[in-house]
Amino acid sequence: MSVNNSNREESEFVRSLLSRFESFKRTFYFLTRSPLAVIGLAITIFYILLGIFGDFFVKGNPWTMVQILEYKGQYIYNTPLPPSSTFPFGTTYGGYDIFNGIIKGARIDEGVAAIIVLTGALTGVILGSIAGYFGGIIDDIVMRVTDIFLSIPGLVLLIAFMAILGRTLEILVFGFIVIWWPGYTRIIRGQVLSLRELKYVEASKAAGASAFRIITKHLIPNAIYPVFVQVSLDFGNVILSLATLDYLGFGFAGQNLAEWGNIIGLATHGASGVLSIENYPWTVTIPGLIILIFVLSLNFLGDGLRDVLDPKMRR
Amino acid sequence: MKLYVYIIRRLLLMIPVLLGVVAITFALSHVNINLLISEYEGRIHTPQARQAVINALHLNGNFLEQYLYYVVAVFTGNWGYTAPSDIDPGSPVVLEFMRRFPPTAELAIVATLIMVALSLPLGILSAVKKDRLVDQATRLIAMFFYSIPVFWFGLIIILIIGPGSKIVPPWLQDSGTGQLNFQQYAIIYKNGVYTLAPWAVQGGLSRPTGFLVIDTALYGDWPAFLDALKHLMYPSIVVGVTSFGVFVRYLRSSMLETLGQDFIRTAKSKGVPERYVIKKHARRNSLGPTTTIMGLTIAGLLAGVVVTENIFGWPGMGTWLYDAAVSDDLVSIIATTFVFTIVIVIANLIVDILYAYLDPRVRLE
Repeated sequence: MSVNNSNREESEFVRSLLSRFESFKRTFYFLTRSPLAVIGLAITIFYILLGIFGDFFVKGNPWTMVQILEYKGQYIYNTPLPPSSTFPFGTTYGGYDIFNGIIKGARIDEGVAAIIVLTGALTGVILGSIAGYFGGIIDDIVMRVTDIFLSIPGLVLLIAFMAILGRTLEILVFGFIVIWWPGYTRIIRGQVLSLRELKYVEASKAAGASAFRIITKHLIPNAIYPVFVQVSLDFGNVILSLATLDYLGFGFAGQNLAEWGNIIGLATHGASGVLSIENYPWTVTIPGLIILIFVLSLNFLGDGLRDVLDPKMRR
Repeated sequence: MKLYVYIIRRLLLMIPVLLGVVAITFALSHVNINLLISEYEGRIHTPQARQAVINALHLNGNFLEQYLYYVVAVFTGNWGYTAPSDIDPGSPVVLEFMRRFPPTAELAIVATLIMVALSLPLGILSAVKKDRLVDQATRLIAMFFYSIPVFWFGLIIILIIGPGSKIVPPWLQDSGTGQLNFQQYAIIYKNGVYTLAPWAVQGGLSRPTGFLVIDTALYGDWPAFLDALKHLMYPSIVVGVTSFGVFVRYLRSSMLETLGQDFIRTAKSKGVPERYVIKKHARRNSLGPTTTIMGLTIAGLLAGVVVTENIFGWPGMGTWLYDAAVSDDLVSIIATTFVFTIVIVIANLIVDILYAYLDPRVRLE
């Protein structure tokens, strides 16, 4: 009896997985019909591969940029070299190799962004589903707290965090999560509010399922799709904020951190201020284009996903 | 529900948010309490001085007491003093705020106008021509500017318009240093005496409005007005252009939703011209829901302002925050955070009331 039971449950599980795979295949098919989404997906995959495997192809400490003080008998600390075959993207102030820094920066930027977005989404999903399902006073409290956090401009709070608590990776991630969870909480709560009135939730409740089971089995799996869209969009937003923070000099490590925003910051804070970039435009344009292309492709992908996952738009 | 009932309800809902915001700034300023104390002590680090600071800030009470004192201080305008240095004994934060706020408000208002002016036509066009080339191009443009790092865009603009640039003519060039060429316009040399122009008195504290563009115009100093306008133009373009993408996206979807409704079909089928349907029926109805996301957009815009001020040397709140963060001026950091938050809270309030005024259905909820 018990063996049969477990068998049946297993096949049910496999069937549910198969149906999910079918729906995934359908989603993917619709996604490939939009050229922009395909371009976005391809570039995003390229960047992620770069982030994972890029470190094998570059020299030096994975966190810091490689500093070259002398090149062909010339002291290059204060004179950035233009792009050449030795330095594909040139060098910047302090003699740092930009290409090297950008490859290493892919891992750092994407890794930090992934931690932030996934943790923020998880926090939001848990709190939002609880607030939406139970309603009443819990809902009120959670929503007022999100109101408070949504009223504070993220970048300002981050600068305050880093300046007061110290410029470490832990503080940075903590600060970002503090900013990023309310958005997800709102999305999930809105979804759950409409889902919990549906018949199958009522049936499950009547059959005696616990709140935990209803939330995890019925509500979250059905409410999660807008979160996927938001994650793909926020991944880009986090990278933008991270680069901005590091450009301003409130990032999580020292001056030679291989982070895309920091590479731009080196060029403008390095020698004689913002105007000096006129003589060395590549120190700013190239790292900025790298950020722009990645964030743009993430937005293409997120926009395509939104169209596909929103059944109203699919028609 | 009458409008004034709605407004009162909305104001009451604001109280917990305000208290929560103050709680966050309280936590921020008290989490590293030694930094705060040593900042107030200045250079005199004796136990007596420390005790005097603790007494003055009521830091010896329990947690709740401290918070109450803090709330009272914040709402009575006692925001503390900027960090003292060797040459500067530290001034009241409120004074610094009065000096720094108008330039930022000027920049943010013009940037918002640019944002709305760009996104209204683009969003409506994009929805009306759904899935056609114009729509795709508009969405592409919106997404492009939405994905640009603000600081990078500012730097690129400076590359284009900087002094000695070959791209723009000299009269359009700007070194991006502050609000205007101060030496040239604010310091007047007359009859062997140097004086400050009337609109430049006291670092801007006794100006009629505090907005440089308006003040120079009020006093009729047109060369200075034009220069101020030129300096205002580039940073506000940077902020406005980098934040209009989100707005276009929302406007488009809101407009699409309205265009799919029955009364639009009715209007079309009874022969109302397409242009008139869009202008009179659809646009008005879709603008309402879009205003609600205005608060979020303004939050993003203010973040852009902070960065842009840093790049263009704009003497506003963002530069103040940056300088304070660099020099560990805790009180100023907290003050700027608080002010930015209050601005967003008030913007949300105005937007909600406006929406309720425009659309009576909102009041029923």
